[in-house]
Amino acid sequence: MLRRSMMIFPEDSVAMVLEDAEKGDVIETPRGKVTLLQDVEFAHKVNVVPLKKGDKVIKYREEIGYMLEDAPVGTWIHNHNMGCDRGKV
Amino acid sequence: MEFMGYRRPDGRVGVRNYLAIIPSVFCANTTVRRIAAAVPGAVALAHPVGCAQVGLDLELTARTLKAMACHPNVGAVLVVGLGCERFPSQELYEAVRANGKPCAHLSIQEEGGTTNTVARGIELAKGLKAQVDAMQRVPCDVSELIIATKCGGTDATSGLAANPAVGNMADRVVAEGGSAILSECNELLGTEDMLAKRAVSPEVAKKVYSAIYEIEDLLRNGRDTSLGEGRNELISPGNFAGGVSSVVEKALGGVHKSGTSPIVDVLQYATAPEKGKRGLFLMDYESHDGEVVTGMIGCGAQIVAFTTGRGNPTGHPLAPVIKVTGNYKTYAHMQENFDFDASGIIQKGESVEENGERLFDLVLRIANGQEKTTAEAIGGDELFCIGRRHGYHLPEKFRLPCE
Repeated sequence: MLRRSMMIFPEDSVAMVLEDAEKGDVIETPRGKVTLLQDVEFAHKVNVVPLKKGDKVIKYREEIGYMLEDAPVGTWIHNHNMGCDRGKV
Repeated sequence: MEFMGYRRPDGRVGVRNYLAIIPSVFCANTTVRRIAAAVPGAVALAHPVGCAQVGLDLELTARTLKAMACHPNVGAVLVVGLGCERFPSQELYEAVRANGKPCAHLSIQEEGGTTNTVARGIELAKGLKAQVDAMQRVPCDVSELIIATKCGGTDATSGLAANPAVGNMADRVVAEGGSAILSECNELLGTEDMLAKRAVSPEVAKKVYSAIYEIEDLLRNGRDTSLGEGRNELISPGNFAGGVSSVVEKALGGVHKSGTSPIVDVLQYATAPEKGKRGLFLMDYESHDGEVVTGMIGCGAQIVAFTTGRGNPTGHPLAPVIKVTGNYKTYAHMQENFDFDASGIIQKGESVEENGERLFDLVLRIANGQEKTTAEAIGGDELFCIGRRHGYHLPEKFRLPCE
């Protein structure tokens, strides 16, 4: 099923899903169609480019964290697979 | 552009006209509450401090209580002390007298106990209330307005809709010659370069970096991994549940509520800007909702714009708090706690500009007293909290040795 989504900047590596969505649903992004690999809740995000462990995650054209593991396109990106050292090192 | 406000003896302008009953120390809280309960329209500013504090903490208590008492949304003040407290009620009373508004002062030990103080307090408060009720709104320029901005209960919609709408409103206030305040420096980690670029001078840019890096250092030093999971996060479980994955992602969304104006100065907690200085300010403080909102009101903000994706019912006893959300689900679920729905930016493709314009109009209606906020309607007063810094700025040589 096609779900609504938003990318803040085309250079970002993630898009926000704007409806509660299920695994297998599809979003259309400036980087092309992306199939969700997991269920994704409203306002959560998935990557629109393949990310490797250690890669920066870009939203608002800025680094919001780095990947703790590899993530093929369409992976739910959140604090379980993305780290951020600011404020806690 | 004008609105109808209360012109105070110190020249500042209020959007509300309260009689504030203020204890200099927590020991007077019950007395103050009982006086306020007997005088309709009076507000009690009960708090947990005023004694047994030292250094900057005691200074913050004194500064904040003076700033509340002298605040332009307050028409008159009754100060109630115990009599032996470290922040003397006389000092608070003298500050209000110097500020020029009607005021009175009582001490429980002098009056001879709670009952006598409450009886005398009600009498004095009724006299002050009559003076407050005689005060009239007059036309005031929008450039007199200072809007505090705050997010609490952030989710991933806040950075897309609610914060940009507030930022656009703040830009409109600044364009009219008025002011806005951004703070919560621990939630600006990762935005320091973009904020420093917006500073009006290299000196102000340095102050921006210093405010953000110092709070990061303070929090880093306070981290204790022996305390177990969740005690060292700068981000709440609700932020995570709402799709915010890191403190930097939160910051990059949060910073939008400051709009695009240049940063004219960095303010200290509950300290008014230099005379004549107007525009966008950063206040150097962390993000505890009550402490930071009270600090910005202490800087002179008469109205607070508060964004929340998760939903938040809090209010401040002295200033209208406008609740803004970008989350259509939360708005539908908790409508009685919201004043403005910015979710059309996400759901219907509405522009940030049209939402900012509507929000600016709402700010003016609230400033005029034509409308109350939902937090005012339910009597929310949780956001009155006095800031504490726990030895922050303590010179190195005085610090206890640590490993």
